[in-house]
Amino acid sequence: MSEAEEKGHGTSAAHHGSIWPLVAGFGAAIGYAGLVTSTTILGLGIIVFAAGVGGWIRDDLRSPSSPFYGSSPETPGVVRVSARKLATWVFLATEVMFFTAIIGGSWAFRLRTANWAEPGEVLNVPLTGLNTFILIVSSLTMVEALAAIERGNVKQLRRFLGLTLLLGIVFLSIQGYEYVKLFFEEGLRFSSAPDGINPLYGSTFFIQTGVHGAHVTGGVLALAYLNAKAHRGGFTKENHEAVELVGLYWHFVDVVWIFLFTIVYLI
Amino acid sequence: MAETATAGAMAGAAHGTARKRPYVYVFVVLAAVTFLELNVGVLGLAHDLQVTTLVVMATLKACLVAAYYMHLRYEPKWLILIPIAGLALVSVLVVTLAGGGNP
Repeated sequence: MSEAEEKGHGTSAAHHGSIWPLVAGFGAAIGYAGLVTSTTILGLGIIVFAAGVGGWIRDDLRSPSSPFYGSSPETPGVVRVSARKLATWVFLATEVMFFTAIIGGSWAFRLRTANWAEPGEVLNVPLTGLNTFILIVSSLTMVEALAAIERGNVKQLRRFLGLTLLLGIVFLSIQGYEYVKLFFEEGLRFSSAPDGINPLYGSTFFIQTGVHGAHVTGGVLALAYLNAKAHRGGFTKENHEAVELVGLYWHFVDVVWIFLFTIVYLI
Repeated sequence: MAETATAGAMAGAAHGTARKRPYVYVFVVLAAVTFLELNVGVLGLAHDLQVTTLVVMATLKACLVAAYYMHLRYEPKWLILIPIAGLALVSVLVVTLAGGGNP
């Protein structure tokens, strides 16, 4: 029996009985309503959402992360996909469409306007190449973290999760450094660009890399949660689905960057 | 508890954890292709060919990450239909953007 289960939160039924996801969803709904009505309602929504997420994390840190296969009877020899993994893949499919809209829109601007910067003319390609390498290494450490806990090796899980978190923070730090240099020294802004370059170049650069950076930030927060839970003994060889699901998200962010790096920096 | 353990065992079976997976080899390929991407300019290719080469290399890297790191290679075959469904809708957007009219 795992350490978390010994604390009395071990059953799958108890894990799925949390009220906090509903609170978070309710808060998000209030927040969205506030976006089109008033800042007071928006603020209320943010508070309720934050309380929901906080309660959810608090509950989850105390319970094991076991897969949930629904109520259908098990069939020997038939490999099923858990409900959470299925939902994660559906979520990632929506993210594919989201990023394609942003990248496709930016590409359309590029094809139909003149004076676009050449690769390396404004952007620091070698530095971003290093950042790309860092993100690839972080994908390796993430998948090794999952492999470690699948073997039941909690010590290696903690080590690889810590490395992945560190690499994610380094990626964001380098991107922040790049933004500061571009904004203050190169004059690449949200609605303007250095002399002779189409101002849309700045807009499309910041929207594409900024939205991706926001996703990396979300991944870093999720990794911080995984690290905290791993250090509390919350993952075992049998119960570790959260590691896999956060890993799927992290690898997806890597895939998006692979295309962004090519489209924004190299072409 | 038994139910949870069974679920965990099924998850393990789904991932093929008994097999040694080529994560490090995939990483080496990803790193090598990234290096090639950064230095593709030295080949002196025509612009269109260079762009095509870069897009092919990026697609190769993305497929490797999805197949091995996101485990699509080890999951039930039908699971790949979900990201493909997203890509199908994406293709509509791409065709629309590539077509005539103002953006």
